[in-house]
Formats: sequence, C-alpha cells, structure tokens
Amino acid sequence: MSATTGNPQEDFLVLDDVKTHFDMGTTLFTRESKGVVKAVDGVTLTIQKGEILGLVGESGCGKSTLSRTIMQLLRPTSGHIWLKGRELSAISDKDIRSERINFQMIFQDPYASLNPRMTVLDTLGEAVRTRHPELKGDALRARVAELLRTVGMNPFQMKRYPHEFSGGQRQRVAIARALAPEPELIIADEPVSALDVSIQSQILNLLKRLTRELGLTMIFISHDLSVVRYISDRIAVMYLGKIVELGDAETIVDHPLHIYTKALMSAIPEPDPNLERNRHRIVLEGDPPSPMEPPEGCKFWPRSPAGHDERMRREEPPFEEISPGHWVSNCPFCVADNGAS
Amino acid sequence: MPLLEVNDLTTYFHTRDGVVRAVEGVSFSLERGETLGIVGESGSGKSVTCYSLMRLIPEPPGRIERGTAMFEGHDLLQMSQKELRKVRGNGIGMIFQDPMTSLNPYLRISTQLIEALQTHRDIDKKAALHKAIEALEEVGIPGASKRVFSYPHEFSGGMRQRVMIAMALITEPALLIADEPTTALDVTVQAQIMDIIKQRQNDLGTAVILVTHDLGVVAGSCDKVLVMYGGREMESGSVEQIFYRPRHPYTRSLQKTIPSLQTKGQELYTIPGLPPDVSKPIHGCAFFPRCPYPKTDKAEGASPELEEIEPGHCWSACGFCDSSTPIESVLAKAGEVAEDGVPASAGEPA
Repeated sequence: MSATTGNPQEDFLVLDDVKTHFDMGTTLFTRESKGVVKAVDGVTLTIQKGEILGLVGESGCGKSTLSRTIMQLLRPTSGHIWLKGRELSAISDKDIRSERINFQMIFQDPYASLNPRMTVLDTLGEAVRTRHPELKGDALRARVAELLRTVGMNPFQMKRYPHEFSGGQRQRVAIARALAPEPELIIADEPVSALDVSIQSQILNLLKRLTRELGLTMIFISHDLSVVRYISDRIAVMYLGKIVELGDAETIVDHPLHIYTKALMSAIPEPDPNLERNRHRIVLEGDPPSPMEPPEGCKFWPRSPAGHDERMRREEPPFEEISPGHWVSNCPFCVADNGAS
Repeated sequence: MPLLEVNDLTTYFHTRDGVVRAVEGVSFSLERGETLGIVGESGSGKSVTCYSLMRLIPEPPGRIERGTAMFEGHDLLQMSQKELRKVRGNGIGMIFQDPMTSLNPYLRISTQLIEALQTHRDIDKKAALHKAIEALEEVGIPGASKRVFSYPHEFSGGMRQRVMIAMALITEPALLIADEPTTALDVTVQAQIMDIIKQRQNDLGTAVILVTHDLGVVAGSCDKVLVMYGGREMESGSVEQIFYRPRHPYTRSLQKTIPSLQTKGQELYTIPGLPPDVSKPIHGCAFFPRCPYPKTDKAEGASPELEEIEPGHCWSACGFCDSSTPIESVLAKAGEVAEDGVPASAGEPA
C-alpha cells in the first residue's frame, strides 16, 4: 500500500492500485497471446465525502474505464476499491446489483442513454423504485415530480417521451434519474460535451448546486480542463492508465508541474484574440501511444517536448507529494521547470 | 472583388409540419486568404449556410429561397449541376465534423485522395499518387508513402481529420469550408488540427470559412466573425470588434457563458430559456425572449435592421432593449432579483 492510499475505514472512496486490463485473447492457430490492453494500470486515489473530483485526460487514457471499474460494471483485474468501508471489489457479481444503487452514472449522450419508449415518469419511477420498491401511484408520481423540480424542470412534463425534449432537458432527465435512487456517489462521464455552449453552463451550475445541496460526492470526467476547473474541488490528470498529477483545482490550473498537464492546458483555446495570438503553446506530437504496448519507464517520453534520456526510458518515475496535497509523477524531465505555464 | 460575396441568403425547409426557416437573409463577404468564423448554437443555421453555398441542401424539402453567392464572379446559387461539379472539390473544398462518416470505409485512402485530382486535373495515376503522398506529408502524417494505402479505420480520429484536410486541399482550392472540424476531437488534437489548417492556409493562400460553436477556436484563428442565432445574423465584424466591443446582447451573453481558465469559483452565467424554434415564424429580434437587457417601450414585432456601428462591424439593431450599457451592469442589477445568484461584476454590489 503506497503513501497515497487512504484509510478504507474512514475515507469515503478509496482506490488502491486498481488495474483493469483487457486480455485480447489468443490467435486462432498458434495460440499466441494477442496482448493485453492496460486501460487502467495502477490507480491509487482517495475521495472524501462531498467532494467533486475532476478526472481529465485525452481519449484512450482510461478515464472511462476507471469510472466503469469504480461502478463495478467492469471488475478490476487487481487492486481494491472501498466505498464507505465496504470493499466493492470483493462483493460477488450477484450481490453487486443491489449495491449499485449507491452509485449512479450520468453519461455523455442523453439521446442514447434514455429509453425512447419510456416516458419520463416510467424512467424516473423505475429508478426511484430501486430504492423504494413500495412506492407506487400518487406517491411515486409525487416523488418523480419532486425530482423534476430538483433538476429545474416542470413536473407536468413527466408524461412526455425523451424525443420531446431538447438536449439540455434530456440531460436534466438523465441527472434526475441518477439522483432517483438517492445515491451517495455520482460519476458523470463527459456530461456536457454533447451540449450547446449556452446549455453547458446551465448543466454545470445545476450539477455543482446539487452536489452541495444533497451532500453528494461526484467524479466528473471530461477532457476539457476549463470545464473541470470550474466544477471540481480537486483534479486528477490521467495518462495511459495512470494518474500523472493530482491536486486542488486551483493548484493544478495555476501551478501545474507535469508537462502533460501544462500541454493539456495550453491546448484549450481561450476566447480572447490577443491572448490566443501571443500564446506560447506546448504542442504534443501525435497521439497517445497504444495502451497495448505502453512505453517503459516514464510513459510520457515518446511525446515529451522536454526531451528524455536513457534513465527516463527505463525507470518508472515515483508518484510523489511535492507540496501538501499536490502529487505528481515525478519524472525529472517532465516536471522540470520548462518555462511555459 | 471579394472571393466570395454572399447576399441575403435564405434557405427554408418545407416539411409536413410547416416551414423551417433555417437561414434567413444572411450576408457576408470573404477576401482571398481570409478566415471567417461562423459561430452559433445548434440550430442557428450555420451548417445550413455552408451546405447552401455548396448546394448540398437536399431538395426537396430544402429550398434556397433567395439570395446570391458570388464565387469568383459566378453565382453558386444559380449554377447547373454540371457547373457545380467543377466547383466542388476544385474551387471549394469542404471538411466535415465527423471524419469517420465522411471517408468511405471500403476504399483505401489513396483511392479517395486521387479521385478529386483525377476528376479535376489532367493527371495520370502515378503523378496523382505522388501528389497524394505529398499532401499527406504536408498535414503531418508520418510514413505517408506507406500510410497512403491504408483504410480509414486504420487511422485515429485526429489522423482521419488530417486525411480529410489533405483531401480537401489536394486540388488547392481558393476556399475551404470547415464545418466543426475539431468538435469530435480531443483538445490536444484540436490544437494540432487548427495549426495544420492555419499552416496550409498560409502556404496556399486559401480562404477559410470555419463553422464552430467554440469561441476560443474562433479567437485563435479567424479574421472575421459572423454570429448567428435562429437562422439570422446577430452581429458581424472583425475578431477584435466581436470579442472586445460586442454590441448585440446575444454576443455579450454568449461570451459570459463560456467557462474559461480565468473563471474562478463563481457561478457561471447562463442564458435563460432555450434557443428559438425556427419552425415557427420569428417576429422581431430572435433573441428577444432570452435577452437579459431591460426592455424599451418600442413596439415588439418590428424586424431589426442591420446597422453598421463602425467600419465592418454590423449588428442586428433591435430597438426593444437598451443595449448600450455593458452586460455586467445589466446583470448586476438583475442579480439583485435573481435567486440563482447571477455573478455581478467586480466592484458592484450584487
């Protein structure tokens, strides 16, 4: 157990060296292994109750796999996950369904994640009854109406079907559905990236307000640091299945240490023409390497604009606490003061 | 003479449920080598504007009702299909949002790249292939001489979009229309793609129409901006005019809603309500129902006229609201009543 691991009995959600690997199977005749995709490769993380943790990274970095592993939709290959002192990774597949009402998910695409043949009342009613199977009729309707009001919708819309709503309203319904079983942990996987800019801010404000009011804990996944910065208390930056930097939202955005975090930030276009034209960008070359054959040593060296040496290509850098609460994968090249911020 | 001059472009869709007024009287012009950004939310008519220029609107139900689009002295909207074929992919190239659906999955990249060259140029296959490899190298695809024989699925999203750019620019068109070219991509890849578009534009002197909903992308790469809402032009001008001296309440509100790295702690400003339903006729200013500005006593329903407030800077001068004051002070006043705590500007009590 490394120094970052929290106390499973005291902390809300604790991940200890969680790995989720996908075995690609063997070839048909020679029976050689086709390789293993190491989507999540050793994540250690502690989340406190009431916290919003932002998880950022490029596509393919493993952020969605990590969230599905926490949800136990995928079982980890190794490592442990505790939620409120209960070890989720040890619960059998049979019992995990009943456990899952404590953690709910909001997906990116509200068009695909709502059943088009169910009215809002059916969708939300079903979700409410996972927690309160005894509710029906008027009591159930009252609860659904309350949920709709919570997410800023009018209860008279409960008889409608998903296609009758706009994208923003659909995402509100999806949020209401996630809230319906009264969960304690919500994982929001890119909940605003499919929405229009003017609607995005409405949903962000709503999510932030709900977490505060209902005392929820949330993992907010996005590739957009400007959105994550707005909503999160802490930010974890992921790259190739590992967390490379972790700290308070303000610290990560204002004083990033790892060059990958800096590059992610400098890639975000700012709505200011003069700033944009005179900006020093750290441009990353190419795409992230394949998680099937991740580079040895510091996983960032093939793309690092700061250069690399033999040692960096061999030894995996330690994940260290540089200042209180600010952790970074401490590779001498990636974390050196490389001028741009 | 500008390269492209669009005047009063109006496109309607005649559906069973009524007439959808997707684009209503949009005008703009573009010089050689210039970049125009068209900004707006979904349904604001920005894509339909581009498709109308390329005459890719499905007819019926769509119909270009009126307007002209003079491209190198010829009206795109009056051309016959035969003439259009000479312009598409030759004078005007286009990049679409989703590079997977716009590449043919059954054909090698080489076949798809060469097609445009062989259609529009008198060139043999070997020379065309040579040019295709060059085009891939120019958009930064490593190992282009081998990768040119790959199929689209063998490329990542960012690489596919590079192939699209190479394909659109292989005939060195005078105008490139890019419809949300980076929306489906990661931010890091988005930065790479925008750099490539800019660099190729400099090399070839291509004019670019960039359709996007991301004001940040516009700030970084456009010379001029057209802000659309409900199928109409709300405001247009140089990128400095739009970003530093916005006049229309919609432009100002849109800027306020964007979470940026500079926004701290406070709640994000939201525009109340929903974008307009363009299948119903809009009287007067399209933004009127969502406008945060105090209303004046001028009668509702009169159509706002485009007014030029400084050279090249036009806005849809709606007289319903008193929009001469900056949005911060309007919101500060509104904040006293609003329960959701709309952020007030610094220094003013909320």
